[in-house]
Amino acid sequence: MTNEHNTAPAVETRGLAFAYPAGSGEPAFEISWPDLRIDQGAFCVVVGSTGSGKTTLLRSLKPELVPAGAYRGWARVLGRVASGEGVRGEQAFTALESAQSIGFVMQDPAAQIVCDTVWHELAFGLENVGMPQNEMRRRVAEVAHFFGIEPWVRKKTEDLSGGQKQIVNLASVLALRPRVLLLDEPTAQLDPNAVKQFLFLLGRVNRELGITVVVATHSPEDVEAYATQRIDLDASGAPAPRELAEAALAPRWEARAAACAHADAAIRVRDAHFRFDRREPWVLRGIDLNIARGCVHALVGGNGCGKTTLLRCLAGVLKPQRGHIDNALRYSQALLPQDPKALFVCDSVREELMEWSTRCGYGQREAVAMARRFGLESLGVRHPYDLSGGQQQKLALAKLLLANPEVLFLDEPTKGLDPASCADFSRTVRELADEGKTIVFVTHDLDFALVTADFVSMPFDGEIACTEPVQAFFANNIVYRPNAESRLFGEIAAEGGRA
Amino acid sequence: MTNVFHTYHPAVAFVFLASALALSMACLHPVFTALSLAGALACSCVCRGGRATLLSLRWIVPLCLVVAAANPFFVASGSTELFRIGQRAIYAEALLYGLCSGGMFASVFLWFASYSSCMDSENSLALFGNAAPVVTLMVSQVLRLVPQFVSRGRAIADVQDGMSAAAPRTKKDAAQGRMRIVSVLMGWGMEDALERSCAMRACGYDCGARRTTYARFRLGASDTAVLAAVAALALASAVCAWLAFSGFSFYPVVAGVAPFWLYLPYALLMLVPPALWLRDWLQWRSCE
Repeated sequence: MTNEHNTAPAVETRGLAFAYPAGSGEPAFEISWPDLRIDQGAFCVVVGSTGSGKTTLLRSLKPELVPAGAYRGWARVLGRVASGEGVRGEQAFTALESAQSIGFVMQDPAAQIVCDTVWHELAFGLENVGMPQNEMRRRVAEVAHFFGIEPWVRKKTEDLSGGQKQIVNLASVLALRPRVLLLDEPTAQLDPNAVKQFLFLLGRVNRELGITVVVATHSPEDVEAYATQRIDLDASGAPAPRELAEAALAPRWEARAAACAHADAAIRVRDAHFRFDRREPWVLRGIDLNIARGCVHALVGGNGCGKTTLLRCLAGVLKPQRGHIDNALRYSQALLPQDPKALFVCDSVREELMEWSTRCGYGQREAVAMARRFGLESLGVRHPYDLSGGQQQKLALAKLLLANPEVLFLDEPTKGLDPASCADFSRTVRELADEGKTIVFVTHDLDFALVTADFVSMPFDGEIACTEPVQAFFANNIVYRPNAESRLFGEIAAEGGRA
Repeated sequence: MTNVFHTYHPAVAFVFLASALALSMACLHPVFTALSLAGALACSCVCRGGRATLLSLRWIVPLCLVVAAANPFFVASGSTELFRIGQRAIYAEALLYGLCSGGMFASVFLWFASYSSCMDSENSLALFGNAAPVVTLMVSQVLRLVPQFVSRGRAIADVQDGMSAAAPRTKKDAAQGRMRIVSVLMGWGMEDALERSCAMRACGYDCGARRTTYARFRLGASDTAVLAAVAALALASAVCAWLAFSGFSFYPVVAGVAPFWLYLPYALLMLVPPALWLRDWLQWRSCE
């Protein structure tokens, strides 16, 4: 256990740089970071875009997770060396001390959960450090109370929502009573409500318990209210108010409205009812919806409103028990799953793009052109799993587009993307619509819906509460609406300026 | 219906059911078997519910009758001839023996059914996990990963079904696509395993300390009381059964009836689950 009166900075780095393991010769230090000093009790947000080295920096601060490679300079946590060159004779963290002084929460809520029940997951770390049973019981009770987990403490972890899973991860780390908490994009996979709830709890951990919090993120806007310190790893785009983005999009909206007014319905849904089991409640109860050919249609709404189920019904993966869905483009469709990993079967980006070449009749040339369109040309030999979340999303979309589908179904396409990638993605979708493709996507991200869609539908309680053109929809929504200002809008406004 | 043992430490259910099971199997005796069958039925009713018990009786009763009826046809021992079928004499003793073994058979089935409803994986782990913390963790991990694998398999199949633009052109293609689900699942699972092992190490897994196990259940005073009563009754029943058996025989004539008090401990043991149920019922009666 670290000394209680230790007044050393929570985190301090000097000249830290990292090189991935090389075959031979001098290491090439690909990543270097500015010198950091984070005092104990601070709430520090580390901002950087995808690939700016946030994850490597955070892992360099947790002895068990220090990546294999060469270091220059050093990083100290609570006054003791975590990675890099230590002073001769200096005592490093033992695994036991590290577990009880430095907590680490990662991005994927599901991948971190080890045990089958919530209570066992909360106790997992305590079991590891060999805590006596009575003390363990008390600590589990404490964190369960603090985070309001009691109502679902006996649930199976598999049945929890993403937000709940991440709260369990935070709680089980906190049960070990660390003094420094490192979080690597903890909210990237969560929906906006879950993000707010998680960050609120994180803010309480910092203020009420005095635990130093270091969060790496590409969306500092969410954390702003809690942060006491901000470190930028690279220059990020400037935010812009919504009106600027709307002004940039106005000409497009006008043109699209004219184009979509005469479009016939590609997909017609009449009175669709669906439930997963005879004993379960209806998820969809009387959906009526038209999807116009060549238009971008967004389905927005909160958790459990049935939007993902509706998308799967539209794609023909689920069959409604009542009513019918008439999809004129059924034979030429593509489905982008929430997790792009469900789509990857090959060992490299190049093979992945060529997988359907014989089936769909395209060649090497088309695949290369598609890779270039999505900025993947330099990643040809990488394994798809080694790409960042944003790059995986792009690869998945590139693969789908090579099949040349007439209609695309996208499930939460912007999950985990930084604003620049998100703007890229939005531009791609709009271009596809201009080429005459029909696109239906489900999203929590109203900013993205605003800048991307032609029509927006809001499912609620198993029905469609309303369907309107995007401009009218967001003009009429008073409560449920996009941010007043965001970096995505900044990107879109800048793009409008360039065009 | 929740079972009567669920408010007690899993050790109570385990000790009761294990001793009842052992005694039922050891004591093939008209009185003991009758008591055990009655006890097993009562226990099944209060642990699994009347409806589930009735449903399992649908196949237990015919099976027992077959066992009971078959014995006299194969065993020609006994002295009280009931009737003859051709050359074969059917004796009352053999019939009684058959009935007893059928009854034992039925009670053993019912005890096992009650056992599986009272002792789920969580309870078993709570009971035996302290001896092997690593096994506890492993079981918990498997229980976590299996449903995840299933739901992911479904997600991958969904994507294949939803991709008509790249639909397989031949039957062979289609079959290969389904086979690929397995390889995707493996790759995905392995990728996850890397991240999970990082998370585990970050939480101090394998940090050198000896693992302990979180105790979901605490052995309280009332647990200890019931446990002691069950253990004492089981021990007394075993002694009494041994005494009752020493003079007892089925063949050639049923002989050696023991004094009634030798059956008393076993009868009391069989009454434990109904008594627990009755106590609960009396407590809540006024509220309903």
